[in-house]
Amino acid sequence: MIRTPLRPLARILQARAAGENPDAIERENIRLRHEEMRDRSRDQAEGRLLMLGLFFFCAFSAVGARMGLIAVAQPSEPQLASNTGPTIPTDRADIVDRDGRILATNLATYSLYAQPQDMIDPIHVAKALVKIFPDLDQARLVKDFTGDRTFVWIKRTLSPEEMQEVHDIGDPGLLFGPREMRLYPNGHLAAHILGGATFGREGVDSAEIVGVAGIEKQYDGWLRDPANAGRPLRLTIDLRAQAAMREVLDAGMHLMNAKGAAAVLMEAKTGRIVAMTSLPDFDPNNRPVYNPKVKPGDSPLFNRAVQGLYELGSVFKIFDVGEALNLGLVTPKTMIDTKPFRIGGFLIHDFHNYGSKLSVADVIRESSNIGAARIAMMFGGDKQKPFLQSLGLLDPAPVELTAAAGVQPIYPKKWTDVSTTTIAYGHGISVSPLMLATGYASLVNGGMRVYPTLIETAHPRIGPRVVSEKTSAELRSLLRYVVTSGTAEYGRVKGYDVGGKTGTADKPDPQGGYYHDKVISTFASIFPASDPKYVLVTMLDEPTDTSGPVPRRTAGYTAVPVGGEIIRRVAPLLGLRPTIEPADQNAITLARN
Amino acid sequence: MSYLEYTVKTVPTGLRKVLYINWALVVLLIAVASAGFLMLYSVAGGSLQPWAEPQMLRFVAGLIVMFIFAFVPTWFWRNISGVAYLIALALLVLVDVAGSVGMGAQRWINLGFMRLQPSELGKIALVMLLASYYDWLDVKKVSRPFWVLVPLVLTLVPMALVMKQPDLGTAILMMLGAGVVMFVAGVSPWYFAGIGVLGSGLITAVMMSRGTHWQLLKDYQYKRIDIFLDPGSDPLGAGYHIMQAKIALGSGGWAGRGFLQGTQSRLNFLPEKHTDFIFTTLGEEFGFLGTTSLLILYALIVLFCLHSALNNKDRFSSLLTIGVAATFFFYFAVNMAMVMGLAPVVGVPLPLVSYGGSAMLVLMGAFGLVQSAHIHRPRGR
Repeated sequence: MIRTPLRPLARILQARAAGENPDAIERENIRLRHEEMRDRSRDQAEGRLLMLGLFFFCAFSAVGARMGLIAVAQPSEPQLASNTGPTIPTDRADIVDRDGRILATNLATYSLYAQPQDMIDPIHVAKALVKIFPDLDQARLVKDFTGDRTFVWIKRTLSPEEMQEVHDIGDPGLLFGPREMRLYPNGHLAAHILGGATFGREGVDSAEIVGVAGIEKQYDGWLRDPANAGRPLRLTIDLRAQAAMREVLDAGMHLMNAKGAAAVLMEAKTGRIVAMTSLPDFDPNNRPVYNPKVKPGDSPLFNRAVQGLYELGSVFKIFDVGEALNLGLVTPKTMIDTKPFRIGGFLIHDFHNYGSKLSVADVIRESSNIGAARIAMMFGGDKQKPFLQSLGLLDPAPVELTAAAGVQPIYPKKWTDVSTTTIAYGHGISVSPLMLATGYASLVNGGMRVYPTLIETAHPRIGPRVVSEKTSAELRSLLRYVVTSGTAEYGRVKGYDVGGKTGTADKPDPQGGYYHDKVISTFASIFPASDPKYVLVTMLDEPTDTSGPVPRRTAGYTAVPVGGEIIRRVAPLLGLRPTIEPADQNAITLARN
Repeated sequence: MSYLEYTVKTVPTGLRKVLYINWALVVLLIAVASAGFLMLYSVAGGSLQPWAEPQMLRFVAGLIVMFIFAFVPTWFWRNISGVAYLIALALLVLVDVAGSVGMGAQRWINLGFMRLQPSELGKIALVMLLASYYDWLDVKKVSRPFWVLVPLVLTLVPMALVMKQPDLGTAILMMLGAGVVMFVAGVSPWYFAGIGVLGSGLITAVMMSRGTHWQLLKDYQYKRIDIFLDPGSDPLGAGYHIMQAKIALGSGGWAGRGFLQGTQSRLNFLPEKHTDFIFTTLGEEFGFLGTTSLLILYALIVLFCLHSALNNKDRFSSLLTIGVAATFFFYFAVNMAMVMGLAPVVGVPLPLVSYGGSAMLVLMGAFGLVQSAHIHRPRGR
């Protein structure tokens, strides 16, 4: 660096020559040097300041750009890898009754799951969850939340209230997934018919609904088929009749101290099931799990009306008499020998002594076992078996329920004479109440075989003929006669001419004999008897009527009043007008002499 | 190059000083503070209490402080800078001994009428001291090792005290402010490069040693570093703030939800919503337009300060102005970056907007110094 000397000799000499103070030159030079230095440092400072300004500008730009990015960012919910699985088709078709009332539908709800790695305070979350859902196990939740698991199902479905409460916990590790659940808005009503559904494949966004029983299982494929979405499955059930039947049957079951009950209401001419109940039942929204400690026949899941096979007793006598009438072997007025007799070492006897002879009509009215056995012996087992078969009493009922398919009626492999006589009055053969209703409907509707069905849209199968029109009419009169002056007098309903037949059968004990204090009490009824539109079978399992001085178990005091009450409630709902019973020729002639 | 070498004649005196105040800067400060009042009003659910009204009173007090400081000649400030620095150091030691613990850190001294945060004072005092140091120091010596070591020590002492509180954010701001003053004063860039290399080398060594037998830190300390680097690994703390703040900013979108319509901040999703995270409320209610407007106001304040420094031939005044501007800049830059997830959460408030007493007063006092430098700048030759 070349520096200007502070005291350049030439200038000093020059100044001295001019007579000036040479120090002024030095001062001047020092000032200039300082100024130069200052300017240089200022230049440097200015340069650095500009650099600083540039840095600030960059920082401003970065912050501004970031703000812009955040502002335009589309909100996106955190997604799970497991979400990317195949979409599960939902929108299962509804099930409705014959008038389109909802029996089963779908409800949009939310499932609750956890991603523990996002959880702020797993212990607190577990505690709070147990407070909302007391059925959860806190220790297990804590283990799940603090372990290595990245995904934990907590609840399959939440009610809106529960969802709000979980939301209020406010933990980002608790997440909700939308899912449709099957809802049965009528609760217990028609539980056994509908069956129930559960979740199959489960994803975070949806879950597959799978029918596990009843119509839901039988029609699972149809209900799931996307082609049927929005097109409900229409059943033959009438929700109002179903509700009335269940209410009366439930009350009757408790009043009669029965452990179970079943009832089937069927259109006599088509076999369509209008209402069908088995008690105890369950809520298909919360289908109980199988409990191995309970006998299968007593489980609420057990459908007594379809799956239950019972020796139903005297209600079978109508088949016996119906066959004899149809074959022309007897008329209602034919007198039958009713003295006790032995056959194959087996004594046939009655509860009461009805004297030595009864007319065929009175055999039905008084429910004489001896009379029924005598009539059966007229045509014999060879004809009895095919006749019962033609009424659908020896084969599984073809109703559209998965549970019905394997229910094979129990009857002797070797159809002996003893079998023939006992089956005549309903012992030694076990059928379901639904089969009995089918048999009655086929007999009284004019004689055409019907098949039980639950699907409204299916064309009902009718035929072939099982008895003649004439026999059918005679049987209707006989059944009416039982109600007007026989064992089923409590089945009278004002305004409706009810006909029917009672049956009280001792239940078999496991040792091979029969209980004397446990019965199956049945009332098979038709209404209106003059032109039957409906058949109602009411059955109580082990009823005991304790309203009288002695406990009474016979159907006339147990199943009949219950059945009568069901008819009284249901008939107006089904559009039947109360009528004055038309004069019945047979009824008058058959009056007790 | 001292002030006394200039002619003082042209410096305004008496009430004439009012005319020479940098009024644009005053207007900008009022604008920013007003944005703060709006936000505090909104955060309180549309109420002046408990934050907006006290904040207004403090701002008025701050303005008065600023004007008083502005009228005091710069040379007075230069002469007392050493004393101010010592007082700040003493207060920092005192807060260690007798300070109140707030939010898990010992930061305040309760003066009865207000809580003083000595670290705030320390930042400004440090900038003042460094400015007068470089004013005094011969320009030729600026980059000599000894004369670089002196300001380094002057910076590290208060920094260490602040870090001990612990208040990492303020310590970092102190370092950055001091660094800017030193840089503009002309310290060779190689020193800055050297410190950068040294720092990253140290960090690398510490991180490399993890898991080996010569491990330099304890395990729990490494865990803290992890959390510092990735707030998401500590969702209870920093991660939650950031997540909610981002949600608030994002939900504001272009023009925001509208005044008093923010949900994220008003429904208490955000902790510290009236202090460190108040920017999110602005973002939610006024959107991108609101946040950029505030950013531009801040930028203008810094710009005016830089402009003033550039035109000030007095070295002390110039460096002081730059130091205050840099401190101010790092204040809000770190806060915004933190809220937007660009920087770790270190607990730095948004200057003039966040609710806070001593920070506001100290900052207004600092702008008083800037104004003083502006008014008393040497004019002509």
